[in-house]
Amino acid sequence: MNGAEWLVKALEAEGVDTLFGYPGGCIMPFYDALLGSTMKHVLVRHEQAAALAANGYARHSGRVGVCVATSGPGASNLVTGIADALLDSVPMVCITGQVPTHLMGTDAFQELDVFGMTLPIVKHSYLPRSVDELPTVLHEAFDIARSGRPGPVLIDLPKDVQLAKADHLPAPAPITSPPVVNAVPVGLVDALSLIARSKKPVLYGGGGIAIAGATKAFRRFVAATKMPTVLTLRALGALPFDHPQFLGMLGMHGSRAANLAVQESDLLVVVGARFDDRATGKLAEFAPHAKVIHLDADLGEINKLRRADVSVHGRIDHSLNALCAAISRCDDWQALCAERVAKHAARYDAPGSDIYAPALLKRLSELKPDAIVACDVGQHQMWVAQHWGFKDPTHHLSSAGLGTMGFGLPAAIGAQLSNPGATVVCVSGDGSIQMNIQELATVARERLPIKIVLLDNQALGMVRQWQELFFHERYSAVDLSDNPDFGLIAQAYRIPAMRLDARADQERVLAEFLAIDGPAFLHVAIDQKANVWPLVPPNKSNTEMLDAPAQADAIAHADAKEFVHALPT
Amino acid sequence: MHYQLEIALRQSEGALARVLGTAQRRGYAPIAMQAATDPRAPAWTLSMTVESERSAHGLKSQLDKLHDCLAVEVAPCR
Repeated sequence: MNGAEWLVKALEAEGVDTLFGYPGGCIMPFYDALLGSTMKHVLVRHEQAAALAANGYARHSGRVGVCVATSGPGASNLVTGIADALLDSVPMVCITGQVPTHLMGTDAFQELDVFGMTLPIVKHSYLPRSVDELPTVLHEAFDIARSGRPGPVLIDLPKDVQLAKADHLPAPAPITSPPVVNAVPVGLVDALSLIARSKKPVLYGGGGIAIAGATKAFRRFVAATKMPTVLTLRALGALPFDHPQFLGMLGMHGSRAANLAVQESDLLVVVGARFDDRATGKLAEFAPHAKVIHLDADLGEINKLRRADVSVHGRIDHSLNALCAAISRCDDWQALCAERVAKHAARYDAPGSDIYAPALLKRLSELKPDAIVACDVGQHQMWVAQHWGFKDPTHHLSSAGLGTMGFGLPAAIGAQLSNPGATVVCVSGDGSIQMNIQELATVARERLPIKIVLLDNQALGMVRQWQELFFHERYSAVDLSDNPDFGLIAQAYRIPAMRLDARADQERVLAEFLAIDGPAFLHVAIDQKANVWPLVPPNKSNTEMLDAPAQADAIAHADAKEFVHALPT
Repeated sequence: MHYQLEIALRQSEGALARVLGTAQRRGYAPIAMQAATDPRAPAWTLSMTVESERSAHGLKSQLDKLHDCLAVEVAPCR
């Protein structure tokens, strides 16, 4: 047995069932050892997609995602997917081949210091120079990736270490982490006191809820306190979209009811969130009257951007369970918040006969209420967040922190492989899809029944929207009117494709599209001038939301006709 | 504000670079630093002076998260 064969056995013992990768010179011993393994290796067509597919696998399943690449360009192509995992706290182990140790530092063929390159974007990393290090490295890598605040761990593996004799190493065994002590959270008494005194409390939930597996505890806390609740992009689904206490997403493209409640609140109970600038708007003016109770697994997030009056550090589910004893009396406040939700509910009766993307997404959500949705980045990402009815945060896969265009399709592949029986929908844009369009080959090869919905406005829509509103309509490098025929591309990969242009055809086309057995591609033409509303302009307070068309007109437009699809909320 | 850091680090690949990179990226500019291996244990001892408008707590909490950091003490310089 050599080092690579030991590593494959160890990954199997760890319970890894799927890994995503692309072979090459310095990782060939590992690929040789993979032959005969019980693990499924998914051959992607670009290493970035390997990292993003492992990322999507981990986001949906909660298990550690594993990706593999060779040295040099293979390793550097992983970088964006690794960074994405760090920013969104996704547990991953990334294995790269490296040139043999005696060639390291000599500028050898395909030698790249990926260990050094990735130092700022990993939770930790290893470069074992002896096969004897492998047991410790592998044990620690998985433990670090999933413990506390999860994140990516890199193992850069020189070729000679892979080939070294490993018969003397201990037999691989499942890795067990020490049990977590369920201690009474410090700060609990003070938190209960603040909640009891608050007249306008708001619960502000973030991505840490799903990461900690604390969705049930979060819902118990809401049920116990009836506290009006806002969620970040990463937390959508932690409370069902139609829950009476749910006010919507907060932040730049959040709902008016959510943003107003936060700004007027006298207490924010922040659960697994990090005061990201897309959520807070101008930080100095964020929730100016609120005291803050901050629950987080990462001590580094507490007091980082907003001082907490009470901090509760530790496992979120334990802390929430303890806080369920809270007594909150704020009936008038709850009623006001509920009234605003009704008053500012999204409208779907857009004029015109072409496709209105929010209405299309809402309808898809109704037709496939239990779908896992992987989206790309841009306007369609925000429309998904605003209009899809999520009921589970692990069913919404969105690159929130890094905002990685090209995330959607590989993430959908990873999610589908982690849950083969699920309905997986990938919502993409005509900019994003082309960043990893080669993965249609992976979808076709694996016969993954992913339903890919491409919203094509022939532009980089979100950048175009900002240029329209904040750069005096000076459109720079956003035109994609020379897009290829995406349906033909899908068909070239042997994936059935359909096209939707007119609203009158929507119901029929959606029914036919969703009925296709196996993968399917739906190319949807939408209006280039359709924008995402509401919008908090950059460096503005969340009270300064723009709705369309009237307020936006004041900034940029005299011609309201151009906002045919922009309905006020 | 100047802060004085006393850090014990595992002698592992990239440990020094990780600490220095974290401090700089988080907004703490190194003014002076001295590092030595500890003859009693496989560890580095690192003394570093940094300058920042940000809090000492902010840097300590980020360094504490690094797997290679065995102990971190941060204090304002007198």
